[in-house]
Amino acid sequence: MTLRRVAVTGLGVVAPLGNSADELFTNLVAGRSGVHRLDESLAHGLRSPIGASAKFDGSAHFPAPRLRMLDRVSQLAMVAAGQAIADALLDFAAENRERCGVFVGTGMGGAETTEEGYHTLYAERSERIKPYSVITAMTNAPASWIGIDHGLSGPILTYSTACSSSAVALGEAARRIQCGDVDVMLAGGAEAPLVFGVLRAWEAMRTLAVEDPLDPSASCRPFARTRTGLVLGEGAAFAVLEEWDHALTRGASIHAELSGYGLTSDVTHITRPTVEGQAKAMQAALASARLDPGDIDYINAHGTATLQNDGVETTAMKAVFGERAYLIPVSSTKSMHGHLLGAAGALEFIIAVMCLKRGIVPPTMHLDSPDPACDLDYVAGEARFGMTLRNAMSNSFAFGGTNAVLIVKTADAG
Amino acid sequence: MSTLDTLVDILVRDYALARERVTPEATLATLGLDSLSVLELMFKIEDRYAIKITGDTPTDLLTISDVVRYIDGLLARHPEARAAGASEVSAKT
Repeated sequence: MTLRRVAVTGLGVVAPLGNSADELFTNLVAGRSGVHRLDESLAHGLRSPIGASAKFDGSAHFPAPRLRMLDRVSQLAMVAAGQAIADALLDFAAENRERCGVFVGTGMGGAETTEEGYHTLYAERSERIKPYSVITAMTNAPASWIGIDHGLSGPILTYSTACSSSAVALGEAARRIQCGDVDVMLAGGAEAPLVFGVLRAWEAMRTLAVEDPLDPSASCRPFARTRTGLVLGEGAAFAVLEEWDHALTRGASIHAELSGYGLTSDVTHITRPTVEGQAKAMQAALASARLDPGDIDYINAHGTATLQNDGVETTAMKAVFGERAYLIPVSSTKSMHGHLLGAAGALEFIIAVMCLKRGIVPPTMHLDSPDPACDLDYVAGEARFGMTLRNAMSNSFAFGGTNAVLIVKTADAG
Repeated sequence: MSTLDTLVDILVRDYALARERVTPEATLATLGLDSLSVLELMFKIEDRYAIKITGDTPTDLLTISDVVRYIDGLLARHPEARAAGASEVSAKT
């Protein structure tokens, strides 16, 4: 069976460093960091009171009665999805909406609502938990709201595979288009984890970066000898995926092609990554895109800056690409936008699309002293311009062991 | 201060509704308020009148005047209710 091709025709971003794909990419290329000291009210008592927040106020986008039904994670998702639709110049009134759907990845869903509810019950000892708590906190709320907003009555699904959630959402959406179930999909992810209890829980896992005493914004240091962990970030990123001929017929401008998706599962330990699982996901993505390792010109790494991930990911890339691994520019943009958990895969996929469009590779920042075990070309410190990039890979690995790898191909490669 | 005025105050202040839209005839649906909003609204009514509502709030109230009538019924059953306007509307949302 011949699979249909998947065009990326719209991009939407609400994230640290930018409220559009363009703004985000410009800041990444400039090496700016969105990591900062969090407000004392949010971070009191944290050993490392840092995070990467989005400049986003929901009240600017939603009327007050509606806002009461929306956790921040849904607000972020709905605005980013709306942006992607606008960017695609897509008019759903002209579409068969039964062949349009929404796939969303989120790790923690409405975490703020959950926390507020517990605060009401246990801290205030009040029984007045909000009547909206269930529908606001539920993990599938962002996807459902996007569907309701735009009247899309095809498949609406939510994927929750921790840090690979939205890469899975994009990959699965692409599969649905490829096999002919749907023609247009909104796919992406959202996460709003900058909540006291969530920050505390991540801190308790000893996975968060230690704050750089001189420059908090330089605390996330992927692939560095001095790396100490990840920095939590919030935001949402969405793409409009569309069957190739459908996009051409309506005269859409195609940003890129989502050409490959590989999915494997580590089944060894709930948090420890495996070289084999990551490598096989990359190979599966290459196979589905019908590409050889020699065809990949850029990798947006998972690159969390945890001790575990960066070494394993480096070894996995070497296993897949052999000697060529040393020639491919690899960057972890998490050094700047932080780790958006369930939204990370979609955000980094969009960054990979922007790389192809602009011929620019953003840097890995704060990598002054590389880990000897991490010896690839991580584009340390400065972006590279004027690159000819045919295909880019975006890696997303996760607690729970779901490894998802996406490949994006330049639109004019034919 | 009438029950209607009190209700309008709450909706203007905590739900950011335009005062002129909150008329007795206005339906809750046009104001963007569903049955769960009304349940939540009752927390504020409890605060405002210093009463504790027992029993279930009906979920079939359609207009602002329906809500006013329901609140008036509550107040009649709660002689301890603080005089309308005697307390500040809770700013807590």
